[in-house]
Amino acid sequence: MPRYELYMILKAMQRPETAAVLRRTVETLFERGAVVRSLENLGERRLPYKISKHDSRQTHGGYFSIDFHASPNIVSELLNHLERDVDVLRPTVVKKDTELPKGQCCGAAREEKAKMAS
Amino acid sequence: MFVLSVSRLLVQALPKQPVLPRASAQCVRSLTTSQQDPASKDDMPIKMENPYKQPAKTCILCNVTVDFKNVQLLSQFISPHSGRIYGRHITGLCGRKQKEVTKAIKKSRSMGFMSVTLKDPLFIKDPEICGIKHVE
Repeated sequence: MPRYELYMILKAMQRPETAAVLRRTVETLFERGAVVRSLENLGERRLPYKISKHDSRQTHGGYFSIDFHASPNIVSELLNHLERDVDVLRPTVVKKDTELPKGQCCGAAREEKAKMAS
Repeated sequence: MFVLSVSRLLVQALPKQPVLPRASAQCVRSLTTSQQDPASKDDMPIKMENPYKQPAKTCILCNVTVDFKNVQLLSQFISPHSGRIYGRHITGLCGRKQKEVTKAIKKSRSMGFMSVTLKDPLFIKDPEICGIKHVE
């Protein structure tokens, strides 16, 4: 199963409410047959720009990331569901690259070429 | 007396050891072996790595992973006044890294990690990588 990461920005709320939102999200993932790997709190910070969502303009938010394995079919449904959630300001699902990028960096590539030529 | 000194002089003049003809290395070699050894050829160039070799030219982000979460690193490649991404001729990055940085900046902007029109005030005092002079 491919590996995804869900980065969410939640409204700046009290601790029990934030916990409730996270619980709701993870339960949604479980319902759709995802295997949650980890849930990280990236801190509550000031947003880089004011985000207006669900009839409110927010300046502060809590950043969270959920690492999970899931089938590709559920990604669009999940995003749909999160967009409708009032407390979530910006949900994004990103595919996780576990492989290293192909090829080498400029210096190493050039050295190899020189060696091949000589 | 005079005879003695003369004889002494003569003794000193005579060499104490018999003088053999000075045989140089090459002469000895020619006397002993007719063929030259392939291992000891003084004239042939010795194979070695180029002593004047310069270190491979690398860009500053060589072997550095560029991540959209690393807002501080990405902010070094944007203008502090307008938040615009600097071009390749200013950053001095290689093609691959410049593309990675641009993609990461756009990704982080859309995900709500990085600002679009300005540079985060926390990162304004960071060391300048790009060789650009701002009009004060």
